[in-house]
Amino acid sequence: MATLEDSFLADLDDLSDNEAELDESDGDDAKKDEEDIDMDMADLETLNYDDLDSVSKLQKSQRYLDIMHKVEEALGKESDGTEKGTVLEDDPEYKLIVDCNQLSVDIENEIAIVHNFIRDKYRLKFQELESLVNHPIDYARVVKKIGNETDLTLVDLEGLLPSAIIMVVSVTALTTKGSPLPEDVLQKTLEACDRALDLDSARKKVLDFVESKMGSIAPNLSAIVGSAVAAKLMGTAGGLSALAKMPACNVQVLGHKRKNLAGFSSATSQLRVGYLEQTEIFQSTPPALKSRAGRILAAKSTLAARVDATRGDPSGTNGKALREEIRKKIEKWQEPPPARQPKPLPVPDSEPKKRRGGRRLRKMKERYAVTDMRKLANRMAFGTPEESSLGDGLGEGYGMLGQAGSNRLRISSVPSKLKINPTIAKKLKERNYAGGATTSGLTSSLAFTPVQGIELCNPQQALGLGSGTQSTYFSESGTFSKLKKI
Amino acid sequence: MESVLLPTLTKKEEIDRIINNTIDKVLVLRFGRTSDENCLLLDDILEKSARDVSKFATVALVDVDSDQVQVYVNYFDITLFPSTVFFFNAHHMKLDSGTADHTKWVGKFHEKQDFIDVVEVIFRGAMKGKMIVHCPLPPERIPKYQLLYKDV
Repeated sequence: MATLEDSFLADLDDLSDNEAELDESDGDDAKKDEEDIDMDMADLETLNYDDLDSVSKLQKSQRYLDIMHKVEEALGKESDGTEKGTVLEDDPEYKLIVDCNQLSVDIENEIAIVHNFIRDKYRLKFQELESLVNHPIDYARVVKKIGNETDLTLVDLEGLLPSAIIMVVSVTALTTKGSPLPEDVLQKTLEACDRALDLDSARKKVLDFVESKMGSIAPNLSAIVGSAVAAKLMGTAGGLSALAKMPACNVQVLGHKRKNLAGFSSATSQLRVGYLEQTEIFQSTPPALKSRAGRILAAKSTLAARVDATRGDPSGTNGKALREEIRKKIEKWQEPPPARQPKPLPVPDSEPKKRRGGRRLRKMKERYAVTDMRKLANRMAFGTPEESSLGDGLGEGYGMLGQAGSNRLRISSVPSKLKINPTIAKKLKERNYAGGATTSGLTSSLAFTPVQGIELCNPQQALGLGSGTQSTYFSESGTFSKLKKI
Repeated sequence: MESVLLPTLTKKEEIDRIINNTIDKVLVLRFGRTSDENCLLLDDILEKSARDVSKFATVALVDVDSDQVQVYVNYFDITLFPSTVFFFNAHHMKLDSGTADHTKWVGKFHEKQDFIDVVEVIFRGAMKGKMIVHCPLPPERIPKYQLLYKDV
């Protein structure tokens, strides 16, 4: 009990120490923050901030300098990995790691702010560049390279951007509405670019340091995803406990970059994976299984992170077991399906026939239905002998067909539901119109032939060619000769 | 592909058992010997179609050279090999294929599908309660043989 009390007291002392430290640095930051907020409010009102330093203060802050110094020290010397406290939080190295993680998040925010600054300034020169080059560091590099140049053929962007984007940028530069910047604005912009690149390299340094320590900080997580990715995940999440608190679906998309599509289809390769994409396991799965692999990786690495956050397994065996599990699952997915055995025949007459109905069947049946003509022929009038094909009761009887007394005039011209071949239908129509009383005013049965002049009967008709002047353009049964999309 | 060989019966009790135990399925018993060429061809077809027909038929082979089986050989009057006898629910089914003997099928089948057709017709007839069914095969496919009556 005494030892417990002692440990509690010790914790309290630690806390107060930390608070003292934090107060110190926080005091500076707090003041700067207040200034920052005031300046920002003022800036937002005027929307015309000229000074970079008023926007980006991180590089000058004490905290930043302290941590960077420590990191460089630690990177220089070989650390003694054996000395570790029972509680993770007591380990001074772990504290440094936590600070580094926090710092890396801050640096990223700072880079975003600087990027906004550069963008606002450079908008006057080359507005479209911000939408073509999304990544802030790439943007800063490109801006630095281009400078105030109007002709992009003189600028070599090789290595900074993928060649497709370079092409698009060059083409867009020809038609840009911008104008070259004044000298002082250009100077400020270049300064801001430099600042952004500095911040980026600092961030890299911090992450490298975290990565080298990852094996002792989070052994299980690095067993699954590798130390580089583990460091990045921790850095983006803002600490190991923050990472452990995240649900697995969030861990899956940590570090997801928005890709600039530039005209490519967005239907393909829409995988929702962030840093996990760089893990060995993910790279080695076939593309069809990548989305499932991403999900299982996120789930198991979240479990490992939780184990590490509570320091439940310093040796990392849990992580190795999870990695094995993931590997086995992915292998199982790739197995071919079991071979199909030929099915035995079904028992005869055991399955009743499925009679189908519906519109299609009705239309099919209509083709063979009894026509009106046949219906009339099947009936007979009472008292009157029916006419027959051979006369005198021989041959087929005509029934009510064609009877004078029947109150139906012949056959009504209801359009038959039977389908007629379209070419035959066209010929029938033409024949009808040729013989009927209502013909088009433009058709003529006179033919103008070169030999005889005007002829009454068309000699070409005998050949089946029809009159040369008989145009199909005005034909009643003609179809469109030329279809053009408007 | 055919993994299970057709059961070969050599004892009277086995034959009795299989006849009594096959319920609601056609039982096809082939009487023959494995040295005969026609018999082997028939066996090949039987083996290949046994799985397809398995839902409504069982196929078994009876070796005619065994002693105990001679009872059945005499009962069914089997002289030419191979001969196939059909049962349904322990009842002997007759098949009219245009030959003189309706009680059995003598000889081999031309094709797997022919055998399946015959078994299906027998099944349908038996389910309806008929004792004799008409063979669906065209006469060219039915093996012809001469029945000798007391060597005449």
